[in-house]
Amino acid sequence: MTDQPGTTDAAPSGPFDPPGIVWQRVSLRLVSARLLTLGLWLVVPAVAGGVVAVLTSTPWVWIAPAVLVIMMVVAVLLVPRQVRAMGYAERDDDLLIRKGIMFRSLVVVPYGRMQYVDVEAGPVARRFRIAQVQLHTASPGTDATIDGLEPSEAERLRDRLASRGEARLAGL
Amino acid sequence: MSDLTPTDPIRTDPSPTDPSPTDPSSTDPTPPEPAPLVWHRVHPVTPVVRGWTVIAVLFVIVGQQTVNGLPEGDNLLEGDRWWQILLGILAIGLVGLAYSALAWRMTTYAIDDESVRLHQGVLFRQQRKARLDRLQAVDIVQPLVARLFGLAELKLEVAGGADSGIKLGFLKEAQAQRLRNELLALAAGIRVGGPAPGASASPDVEGTPGGVAPGDGVDASDTLALVAPEAPEQPITTVPPGRLVLSLLRSGATIGLVLGLLLLVGLVIGTRELSVLFTAFPAVLGFGGYLFSRFTREFNFRSALSPDGIRLRHGLLETRSQTIPPGRVQAIRLTQGLLWRGPDWWRVDVNVAGYTLSADGSDSNSVLLPVGTREEALTAVWLVLPDLGADDPLAVLDEGMTGLDAGEYFTAAPRRTRILDPVAWRRNGFAVTDRALLLRRGRLLRRLEVVPHERTQSLGLQQGPWQRRLRVATFTVHSTPGPVIPTVQHLDEADAGLLMDTQARRAREARAHAAPEQWMRTDAAARPEPADG
Repeated sequence: MTDQPGTTDAAPSGPFDPPGIVWQRVSLRLVSARLLTLGLWLVVPAVAGGVVAVLTSTPWVWIAPAVLVIMMVVAVLLVPRQVRAMGYAERDDDLLIRKGIMFRSLVVVPYGRMQYVDVEAGPVARRFRIAQVQLHTASPGTDATIDGLEPSEAERLRDRLASRGEARLAGL
Repeated sequence: MSDLTPTDPIRTDPSPTDPSPTDPSSTDPTPPEPAPLVWHRVHPVTPVVRGWTVIAVLFVIVGQQTVNGLPEGDNLLEGDRWWQILLGILAIGLVGLAYSALAWRMTTYAIDDESVRLHQGVLFRQQRKARLDRLQAVDIVQPLVARLFGLAELKLEVAGGADSGIKLGFLKEAQAQRLRNELLALAAGIRVGGPAPGASASPDVEGTPGGVAPGDGVDASDTLALVAPEAPEQPITTVPPGRLVLSLLRSGATIGLVLGLLLLVGLVIGTRELSVLFTAFPAVLGFGGYLFSRFTREFNFRSALSPDGIRLRHGLLETRSQTIPPGRVQAIRLTQGLLWRGPDWWRVDVNVAGYTLSADGSDSNSVLLPVGTREEALTAVWLVLPDLGADDPLAVLDEGMTGLDAGEYFTAAPRRTRILDPVAWRRNGFAVTDRALLLRRGRLLRRLEVVPHERTQSLGLQQGPWQRRLRVATFTVHSTPGPVIPTVQHLDEADAGLLMDTQARRAREARAHAAPEQWMRTDAAARPEPADG
């Protein structure tokens, strides 16, 4: 990757960083939450695979746990950068959501197009005091999800989006 | 048949949440209180028509199982088993009929100035109310069996995802049509039974929809409907059956079918095993079934224009008559396959909110023109977007349909993207007019997607690692669910960024000036009732 490891931001340029936009970051606790969830999915099979490998003592059985461990290492390296690359910005008439480093995406959702807003927090997310806000338009293609928000920020965003949506409401 | 059990309208008191105080008719001196809702039942033959489908489905399942089991030498219909299966099907059919009869008994509907209500369900009661100003399309559907009885089903589509509309069925054909006309008139903002506020059209609309004399059975809604005459319509396009057959023969599915058959013959000759035929039979059946269903669905396709919107009629076995009111089309797509180039045929699909793909497993509802000449395709676009917002709309569309590289109107993907898309990179491009965004792509299968600015839901921009290296990005317009997914790949970063920014602004401005949902009302008349929901 061309990014310097030192930059906290993925430093997007060009079309993914429109001029005059101040990006709001999401909470860094999302890193821990994501790693924990991933870990649960990876560590358990890795340990199980390791046990099987020790018991059977055939070398090629080690491949499975090794792959899982490599995946974990990659995740530990990648997830923090992914989380730092996430951002959202409230403009006067629309909400911008940006994410991704390798595969970057930017979504512009006009407030008036919003049909409803979801606020979600699973058990892991609640443990880390973060919540997820998702905007829904009439289009299933709109992938407008902001993960890793402080609960108070999630509530503020929800109310703000709802009120702005009402003010600018259009039909379909 | 209908005289055997006359259906009395069931009277109930209006629910407390009934007509809102903003109803303009309540300001009139004549009706001090809104008339109570009149509940109607659908036609009593309905259970028979519905119950028959259960039997048909069972037969199809048994048939499929038999065909699929043949290669293993496992014939379901062997020996004595066939009449046991037949008896079972009959028994299930009878149970289905009884249940349908009960369901018919429990199904009632009512119509007032603002909404349609439907109560249904035997075990799980469902009460549904659809607002007429949210009406996206009205279809009259006649399955084959219903046609034998002269019945039709009325489908009201609202934008609420799969299975969100209201189905009134079955009704007598004429009754369904009158009901459709009335609903469209109401949805258009023409108030029946009082001076229509701001309505310029239909001065001959008179009568009171609520005040129906009780006890005249099915005809109750006839008098109700008589007040709204059918809007005059002007035929636009007819697709002759011959052309439809030829177009299907030149379609990708046919090519696949022929290739598959050739492969099959080759395999049989090569291996000298006939059992290969049986294994491949379901696949061939699938392809053939697809072609056949497209033929029957798009047979005798006619489109017309009326003040109520676009009228589409099609179908061989099951006929469908669709009405899409003005401004309900969210996106348009023109496509041309490789073998359609000779005769210069095009297919036009549209996105209409409420016509979800999963509604009945097919996207036949979303076809504006199954196959037509270039002129007919352009006319179809014009039906939806009378004003493209360009000085020379034909030139713009022409460039979008067949053009390559950057032209007078289109901005194309840069030359460096030929590595990412070696075949079609010259086609990838977009154009912006005052009213719509045009995205073109595909060289073997040419596509042109048109999205009116005010119908843009949200915008997306994606970039993968290769695209990043080449400084290009993929631009997407999110539209309501449907066959059209407007997107254009590998635009120059600068172009894409600018498009993203300006398109968001254009969409906002277009929405601010968009026509009212109730298309017959003038802007001033629509104002007292704020757009909501």
